[in-house]
Amino acid sequence: MSAVLLAPFAARTWREMAYALASLLLAAPAVLVPAALLVAAPMALTVVGLPLLVGVLLLARQLPGWFGFVARPLLGWDLSAPPPLSGRTAVARGREVLTDGRAWRAAVYAFAKAPLAAVTAYITLLGTVFGALLLTSPLWWEAGTRDLGLPGVDSRPETGYAAAVGAAALLLCPWLLRGLVAVDRNLALLLLAPGPAERRIGELVTSRAALTADAATTLRRLERDLHDGTQARLVALGMTLARIEKRLDPADGDVKDLVGAARSTVTEGLDELREIVRGIHPPALDAGLPTALRTLAARSGLPVSLSVDLDRPPPPDAATTLYFTAAELLSNAARHANATTVRLSLTSAGGWLRLVVTDDGRGGAAPSLSGTGLRGLVARAGALDGRLEVASPDGGPTTVTMSLPAA
Amino acid sequence: MRVVIAEDNALMRDGIAALLTDHDVTVLATVSDATGLLAAVAEHRPDVAVVDVRMPPTFTDEGVRAAIAIKAAHPATGVLVFSQWVETVYANALLRDHPERVGYLLKDRIVSTAAFLDALHRIADGGVALDPEVIRQLFAAPDAGLARLTAREREILALVAEGRSNPAIAAELHLAGRSVEKHVTAIFTKLDLPPSAEDHRRVRAVLRYLEAS
Repeated sequence: MSAVLLAPFAARTWREMAYALASLLLAAPAVLVPAALLVAAPMALTVVGLPLLVGVLLLARQLPGWFGFVARPLLGWDLSAPPPLSGRTAVARGREVLTDGRAWRAAVYAFAKAPLAAVTAYITLLGTVFGALLLTSPLWWEAGTRDLGLPGVDSRPETGYAAAVGAAALLLCPWLLRGLVAVDRNLALLLLAPGPAERRIGELVTSRAALTADAATTLRRLERDLHDGTQARLVALGMTLARIEKRLDPADGDVKDLVGAARSTVTEGLDELREIVRGIHPPALDAGLPTALRTLAARSGLPVSLSVDLDRPPPPDAATTLYFTAAELLSNAARHANATTVRLSLTSAGGWLRLVVTDDGRGGAAPSLSGTGLRGLVARAGALDGRLEVASPDGGPTTVTMSLPAA
Repeated sequence: MRVVIAEDNALMRDGIAALLTDHDVTVLATVSDATGLLAAVAEHRPDVAVVDVRMPPTFTDEGVRAAIAIKAAHPATGVLVFSQWVETVYANALLRDHPERVGYLLKDRIVSTAAFLDALHRIADGGVALDPEVIRQLFAAPDAGLARLTAREREILALVAEGRSNPAIAAELHLAGRSVEKHVTAIFTKLDLPPSAEDHRRVRAVLRYLEAS
């Protein structure tokens, strides 16, 4: 009972009232979206209509952010803006938005929202303003002010009746408002918020990013441990063996041979360790991707012309992937393609990093063929939301392009 | 010979010091970072500073930068840089401005004591000592002049870059001294190195590798 009486003073009521009034202001321009949609949809197949439709849908994608702007702080609704379109060209993005469920659903919401916002704001204003006027009417009613808008109030005693109506309106208004906001909430969560699949994708993207970052950190630590621990100990062991060798009498030929053999084993172990570390996390990457690629190019069995043009260092996971991709492609060019020269370029433009490796070999490479490692590279690119394209006609040349998001 | 050792790993630091002491090399000081190294070199003026590439605080190329600073401040002091891996970019940086009294070796080579001591002495005598692995990588670099070299000439240039003298190369490859000289002259010609002091041309030839990488 006290909840009913106190509802007009509850913080929630005030927030919902603020939302009702603010969303009327927001809904007014948002009406443009369904209105323009009604115009554009019938002529979608014309030269003018299709771009218009695309434009309206692009605008509709902004609606979750637009309404979330007030709904989040006031009511705590999670109306996150849809993820940016992934298409690289304007045409690709246009095609993408035409089939984008979020855009269409948002447009439907804007359609329903207009009358809902009007009714909600009307009831809020009517309930509070007139309720307050009527409630206080015994205080200000005078014989001269006849027209209260209520039939039958002609005298001061009758204002008691008006005050009762005002009180009832004030008590009722928060509950009506609450009901209307609940309807809006359901509509918004259904039409503006990301669907279950989309939310799941969001979670998966986040957890995948955390996993790759974690894996990169682990590999880096492993590399450092191997270098600073295992390698240092092996070198120290080798040095001790060398000192033993020096201390031995020339007469101890057998022992000397044994110690010498042990020392060569240590050297071989160090060689192997270096190769393993190179495969885990190339230390050269610590000095930056351009340096690492230069080292890679220098180590390749083929002459490599290298050009790197980056405006800022790529993210660590992208750098690692680009490095291993370059390593794999250089080794492919030398081993499978019978190439004599390789061109390797790394550029950044429009939010994408592009690694292009071209060799003059015999061509015919495809990710579907096993043994080239290209399939693995496609998977590596995919893990970072990137792409790998292979152009390799029979007879060559082969051009492999890896594109990764730069951030 | 008198040296200063800069190495952040205590096991390695003490090991190298003990090994060198065994071979009548005087270890003047051992330090664990670049700042300590520059102070120790200024104080002791060693013949050679033995420097680890990766030292605190960032564990990337502190050693190379310290080595370049030493070469600039004390040209008479040699620097032998040790690295866990080979980085031609570092070798290039080391040799670019002061292509003498400088060496760049893999840490593993310490185990081959003779090669290690040999490199140390060559550097103290004003020469250059590069790891065979560096040379191997440099060969892969595209350079028209280098591409004209025959296999034998490449082999000899590799040894020149390691800092070997003509007689040492002849011994290594079982060739006559005369024929090594001929090959070396052919290398100079193919690389378009103008006639000048023999040692100078040898260094220039090595630099061509590094520039090409």
